[in-house]
Amino acid sequence: MPTIPKVITTDLVEAIKNTVVELTAEAPDTYKLCRYADLRIEVTEEKHAGSENGTSKYASEDSQFACGIRVLAGDGAIAPGYFGQVLGKADLPRLAQTLASGLQHAYQRAVLNAREKIRIRDKYKDLGAALSDTRLASVEVHRDTVKAEYAIDPRRVCLDDMVRYVTEVSRAVQDVDEQLKYNAVSAVTLVTRELFTSSEGACIDQSFALTTGTAYVVAVSETGDQELSDAIGHQRGWEVVTEGVVEEHIRNLDLLTFSTNLARDAVKLAHAPPLRSSDKDVVVITDPHFNALLAHEIIGHPTELDRALKMETAYAGRSWLLRALNDTMVGKAVASPLVSAYSDPSLPGFGHYKYDHEGTPGRKVVHIEKGLFKGFMNNRQTAAILNVPPNGSCMATEAHLVPLVRMSTTVFAAGARAPEDIIREVDKGYYVVGHRIPSIAESRENFRISAQKVYEIRNGQIGQLYRGGGIMADTKTFLMKVDAMGRDFRLFPIPNCGKGQPMQGRRLGNGGPTIRSRAHLTGPA
Amino acid sequence: MVSLATLKRTAEEGLRYLRRQKDIQEAEVFVASNAGLTARVNYTSHIPCNGVEEPKSTSSHGLGVRAVFQDPKGPRTGLGSEAGDLSLNGVKAALEKARRSAVQDPDFTTLPCPSPERRTLTKYHDPSAMDLKDADLVHAGWRVLTRALDEFAKAGSLRALAKTGPKLREMGFIVGGDVTVLLERMAIGSTRLPKVQTDESTLIASFVTAMVEREGAKGTGYGCHTRLSAMRGDAGAEAARNALSAVGGVRIKDGEYAVILGPQPVTELMSNLILPSLTVASFYDCSSAFHGQLGRQVAHDDLTIYDHGALPGHMGSKGITCEGLPTGRTDLIKNGKLVGLLSSFYETERMMRDHASKEKLGVPPEDCPEALVPRNGFRFAGGGGRRFDMAPSVAPTNVFIEGREKKTREDLLQQVPNGVYIGRIWYTYPINGLRTGDFTATVVGDSYMIKDGKLTAPIKANVVRINDNIHQVLRNIVGITSKSRGTIIWAADEVVYAPEIAVARLRLTEIAGFMDAH
Repeated sequence: MPTIPKVITTDLVEAIKNTVVELTAEAPDTYKLCRYADLRIEVTEEKHAGSENGTSKYASEDSQFACGIRVLAGDGAIAPGYFGQVLGKADLPRLAQTLASGLQHAYQRAVLNAREKIRIRDKYKDLGAALSDTRLASVEVHRDTVKAEYAIDPRRVCLDDMVRYVTEVSRAVQDVDEQLKYNAVSAVTLVTRELFTSSEGACIDQSFALTTGTAYVVAVSETGDQELSDAIGHQRGWEVVTEGVVEEHIRNLDLLTFSTNLARDAVKLAHAPPLRSSDKDVVVITDPHFNALLAHEIIGHPTELDRALKMETAYAGRSWLLRALNDTMVGKAVASPLVSAYSDPSLPGFGHYKYDHEGTPGRKVVHIEKGLFKGFMNNRQTAAILNVPPNGSCMATEAHLVPLVRMSTTVFAAGARAPEDIIREVDKGYYVVGHRIPSIAESRENFRISAQKVYEIRNGQIGQLYRGGGIMADTKTFLMKVDAMGRDFRLFPIPNCGKGQPMQGRRLGNGGPTIRSRAHLTGPA
Repeated sequence: MVSLATLKRTAEEGLRYLRRQKDIQEAEVFVASNAGLTARVNYTSHIPCNGVEEPKSTSSHGLGVRAVFQDPKGPRTGLGSEAGDLSLNGVKAALEKARRSAVQDPDFTTLPCPSPERRTLTKYHDPSAMDLKDADLVHAGWRVLTRALDEFAKAGSLRALAKTGPKLREMGFIVGGDVTVLLERMAIGSTRLPKVQTDESTLIASFVTAMVEREGAKGTGYGCHTRLSAMRGDAGAEAARNALSAVGGVRIKDGEYAVILGPQPVTELMSNLILPSLTVASFYDCSSAFHGQLGRQVAHDDLTIYDHGALPGHMGSKGITCEGLPTGRTDLIKNGKLVGLLSSFYETERMMRDHASKEKLGVPPEDCPEALVPRNGFRFAGGGGRRFDMAPSVAPTNVFIEGREKKTREDLLQQVPNGVYIGRIWYTYPINGLRTGDFTATVVGDSYMIKDGKLTAPIKANVVRINDNIHQVLRNIVGITSKSRGTIIWAADEVVYAPEIAVARLRLTEIAGFMDAH
């Protein structure tokens, strides 16, 4: 057995792997009523640096270590129980005991939960009939190791260099214009190594690198003001921030260029007139950056099967695509025939992975094909309810939290049109550029999303810039009215998406091409 | 949970060690143990389900060291932390991390210094909650669910529908939500403070949404308690009753309506728009909706808002801040006038020295020191826990909203005899940035038409969007009830004791018409 390191590094996973595998494999023998157990371990080595108005504010270099356990158990009924804990260096000498204690808690909760399930099922007869055994759809058991990809290893980046870099960027932003009253620039670079083991024999050792940079600016002119924030990022090393990334579908600027561009936009917008809301639908052309958030909100979230099965009713909401098991939109038209949309964890960026947090290989899930709704992202439990194969869409933000159905990289598929032509054909309309802030109806049936910039289009030419603009529409109506899809498909990072209780904020990927449809314009109230 | 005595001992030993380090100008050790236990409920009468979906817990303990290091170029400040190790080795490891990550921050003056105010709140937590067993957690979840099922099972109106139509369970009853118990213990010692201090708090909250989905009827129930014994599952029963009351919902047309906002919408507006604009930090970075308006009228003169973290028996109370300073009352808006801001020690110091502070606040900071007292420096994680691995930031505790006159809901219904009662909204965001005050949200349940001074037809869930501006809402207040209710929204740390508020005009837009044909 490898020697257990004295510090928390990603190498720790190798050292404890056999212990964790054995503990999980033995759970059904150790605990009489245990039907299934899985155990997740996660170690992250992470560095942060932040600056404001050209001066350094904070930095950190640390490791996180945590475990999460699920047990399905019971006699007469099967129910789940969970346990999670943040761990530290001091836990290493007694790690096996700590994990065993966690398994015991999860098992105990599952058994008690199963007993209550039987009691309530019997008590309520008709209403109790829905209380069912927890089943997991079967998956092939995998044992695999996945390495992180990077050019500059986040673990080797000098923290002082990070501090110096973000401070220089912040200073450059400040120098863009004296009307910039505030700016904050930050960067994070990390490597995470995850271990998933199950009583079925799975053992997946999966590593990711991730680097992201964010900028926030406030510009104030004599006539108006503008706040803007945005992020760059990829599952790669420190080079993401200092050099940028150019790949087939990704054009990630370096943080300096990205931040100063954002600052220039904020200044321009602070001088621009406010957009007037329209009282009816107008022609809108939305760019790939805006459509990344649109895909996130109106495609990704309503196609998460746990929402569709009402499991997020109290929190992140349901889905208009499923009312009951025998009343869904599967096979029905939900969009123009020009629209296809899918989720694919093999796409590069924040949403990339090979296996999800149940050990299921992630695969492409088509949601809309030529306007027809095709299906949902799922986990093993929700797949069993719908009697469909699991598609590997179950992720937790940190190991001590319970995995949920999560979009990987959800996108509108590319069309065939040149974006310039899509604009040129419009006599009167609006070009909506860059996403800003979303507000979506509970079952994702309506949305209002603000844009960074809105331009008027007259006779096929882009004209006046407006601030405070965005669009609002019913989801199905917007999708049905799409009459052009661009070929300029791009992917973008979404730095924070909340779901679950307690809320888990997760990084995801989204994207799409230029799209033309109709929607209400929204401006300042 | 780690005992308070152990946390205190770690802080004392750690502080002694830190005082001996030659390159340290000043230092602070923050030790914490946190646990969150949640029984998440998911019942769907028409879809196979678990009832109690996730009986779970997550916990952590550890320490953080904030230190100021001497440097020829000027002092450098750093924060380091160590999870799971409360020994002196843990302190040493955290100190090394702080040293490695220290930066020169020109806005830093000192670590928090003693306040002239005194701590007033001690021993206010529920000891029984600290010893919650697995069985207690599981049973708490099932108790909430069974109270909801009892309401559905006995509902005569539904039984009548079920006789001629679908079976009762095919009506699509949904009960979702959770019972969450938050346990927090902390100790803090600093070279700037006279002694090591400790604090421990518990919060028991239940938040439940129920639906009769076939009828598009949604209801909410919630309860927040400081004592475990008070958690009897009432939130489940309330949610189910409200869902049943919402059967037969109607749509409304676009327009400006006189409205009464219930406690949940008031809390949404507070937590997502108003409170984030009432921090010194948001004035410093120019993002506040009230930028430059300290001392000025920002709302109808009926409105008073204050934060009070030191009230016994209130759910957001804490004995001390995560900076080791006493909690207390901070008046924010008094009779419509902006009179104070929430702050931490760092933010107050920074604003006092900012050359643009007069422009940002609207008055010179030296003219209003009472408006910037740092009573709200916390290391909250968003939804519970006092984290040892992060620096303090500004967070509210218990937020109170009051009117000058003692009004009842009936009084408000007289003031808004025809309009809309809005009981629950969702996804309330400052759609064009906090500073503009523009916001949008959708109405998702617990809402009714008001006709001739009475609540009449329920409004269907998810058919109305609000598009308005918070400044207009604050100016158009026409009445505030004296009765309020402790309310927490998803992922918030503060508890808003929210009344019902009548507003003369609110812009509502009808949405999702396609769903009726769907």
